[in-house]
Amino acid sequence: MATLSMAPKAVKRRYFARMLGSAGGYLGAVFGVSFLIDKGDPVTPMTILAALVPGLFILAMLWAVWRYVAEVDEVARHDFVQAKLVALFSVLAISGGWGLVELFNTNVPRLPVFWIFPIYFMIFGLVSCFRFRRIV
Amino acid sequence: MENRLKELRAERGWSQAVLGEHLNISRQSVNAIETGRYDPSLPLAFRIARLFEKPIEAIFNDSEEEG
Repeated sequence: MATLSMAPKAVKRRYFARMLGSAGGYLGAVFGVSFLIDKGDPVTPMTILAALVPGLFILAMLWAVWRYVAEVDEVARHDFVQAKLVALFSVLAISGGWGLVELFNTNVPRLPVFWIFPIYFMIFGLVSCFRFRRIV
Repeated sequence: MENRLKELRAERGWSQAVLGEHLNISRQSVNAIETGRYDPSLPLAFRIARLFEKPIEAIFNDSEEEG
């Protein structure tokens, strides 16, 4: 069994620092890229690469989540993973459900794939506010 | 699963935060175990048992066994 060497508070502080840094970078990259690339511009390898830059910060956030799960104590890990699963299933249900609505109705507003990640984190934040009674 | 963690902690005059420091888990995690919201893994149960110098079954009570 892996032993925890870092104090629980230090683990949380590190996680929040990593997440806030990555989220800040993500927002900065999204605004930066939207400033640099006009929707009417022709598609080139450079515009595609530039549009992928915010995705690097998403990877950084996923890495922060991965490290947190590895470092935090088992009780907090249990609650964290449970909230992540609820958020994941919710966003799958929303995107899958709305995807069907879009498929069979041409006049409904489209849900850009871009929103999946922010919606996922919003649901996760909301779910994390509640203490779960025992589910499993 | 029921447990005597709160009682054993009180005997030593420890707060949840102090017990958490001994076990290297957060105060919230101690609370989750004490209230039965979370059953600890076997390695954590052994750490708790060693800390209080008692066998695991003297701290944790699987009520199914009694029924």
